[in-house]
Order: sequence, then C-alpha cells, then structure tokens
Amino acid sequence: MRESRLMLIQYVTAAAAVVLVAFHLLLQGVLVPYGTAISFGAVLSAYKSLFSVVFLETLLVAVLVHGFNGVRIILHELRQTVSWSRWVDAGAVVAIVLSVGYGTRTILLAVLVGASA
Amino acid sequence: MGSRGDSEGMTKGTASNRKGIIGWIDPRGFNAERWAYTFQRVTGVAVLLYVLGHLGDTSFFVGGPIGTGPSESSWAFISGIVENSFGHMILVLVVLVVTFHGINGIRLILAEFGLIFKKPAAIEYPYRPKGLGAAEKYAFAAAIALAVVAAIMAWWILFEGPL
Repeated sequence: MRESRLMLIQYVTAAAAVVLVAFHLLLQGVLVPYGTAISFGAVLSAYKSLFSVVFLETLLVAVLVHGFNGVRIILHELRQTVSWSRWVDAGAVVAIVLSVGYGTRTILLAVLVGASA
Repeated sequence: MGSRGDSEGMTKGTASNRKGIIGWIDPRGFNAERWAYTFQRVTGVAVLLYVLGHLGDTSFFVGGPIGTGPSESSWAFISGIVENSFGHMILVLVVLVVTFHGINGIRLILAEFGLIFKKPAAIEYPYRPKGLGAAEKYAFAAAIALAVVAAIMAWWILFEGPL
C-alpha cells in the first residue's frame, strides 16, 4: 500500500480514536460512577448491548491500527533500508492482526457466552 | 561550535544522525514544535503499551487467555491486582498522556492539511520558522493544559470522588 494512503489511515484512525477514547473515558467515572462502571454486572450488561459491542470493537480496531501504524512510522524514521522497511511493515501487520484478534476474542466470548448468563 | 539548534549544530549533530536514537528523541535546544514532536512519539508508545496491557486485563472478564466466557471470580482476581492506589496512579498518568496525545494529534492533523499555518516565506536571519502561526502554538499549549485538567479530573474521580 502507498505510504500516502497509510498516512491517511493514520489520520482517520486518529480522528476516530479521539472521539471513541473520549467517550470511553467519560463512561469510566463521569457519565457512570467509576465503581459501577467496572463492576462485573455493568461490564456484562455492556456486552449485551449491540451499540456497546460495536463501539468497543470499533475502538479496538481504531486504537490498535493507529498505534501499530504509529510505531511503524517511528521505526521508518529511524532507519530506511529496504530489508528493515519490509520487516517493520510485516511486523506491524502481524501485531495488528494478533492484538485485534485477541481483543475480538474477548468481545466474542463475552457476547456469545455472556448472552446466556 | 554553534548551539544544537543552529545550522552548524544541525550539521554535526542531527543531519548526520551520528547520535542515533538519542539525537532523534532529544528535543533540548530546539523550538516548541520539536518538543511536541518528541512528546507525541513518547506518549504514543506509552499509550500503545498501556492499551496492550489493558487488552490483557480486560480479557480476564472472560477468564483470561484460556478463558471460556464471563467469569466473576476471574474479574475479581484481576480487579484485586489493578484496582489499588498504584493502579489508579497509572490510570491518572494514562489520562494525562492520552489527552495530550489526542489534542496534540488534532493539531498535527490540522497542520498536515495546512489549516493552521501561515503563508510560506523566505528564510532569513534569525531563521525562525515564519510559517508557524499563533493558532499552531495555542493548540500545543491547549494540549498541555487540557491534559493537566483531565489528569486532575481523573485524580479526583479515582482518589477523592464517590466511587
């Protein structure tokens, strides 16, 4: 993928992350009391709401794509050989897939198994 | 020998990149935008490390890495580890760096699309960047101020407020 397109992805995920993270933080102590927000029952009920699940998955993807693409950009600034660039690009893709996969597994288990709880 | 910010210092210290990662990350002797550049990268890496840890601790809601579904005992176990004064101090720091990174990131997006720069002009002594306008500097100051306000709010919620 062209570097200009990757930078565009970086800015789009950044804008999305600013909005989503701000809302996520407001839910932890401002809109909902902190003790309630982190209680088992409140978290379980969050996974029973479609809006909440879509919100969490979008947040997960936006933050991790932005984060690992950011690390990729930093590493490209440090060194620019062809082999280094290829390893960095491949590493960023692997890191995004693994971390988004792990986070999605948490969400899916909470939704699919938690629905019967 | 000139200071690190002038043309001689740039040639010896930065352009040749002989200082490696230290020269890349150390903003001393440069303008506010160079400090913002360093802060943005350091806070970005810090936030990513926290997010990865957060992925790990939230997975305990479903029993952890080998969990099979929502588990109240597993959630209580991880809450016992992270919900204490030290954990809350970390959260206050996270709110500080996340807010700075977000607001300064908005400044960078606006700068990338040329929305907060003045018209380009020829460089002349004393070599101050003429393209930097007041809005650009205010945005950096706002990022620091709002980060501090957000951290104080987080402190109040976690340490003083009615949990």
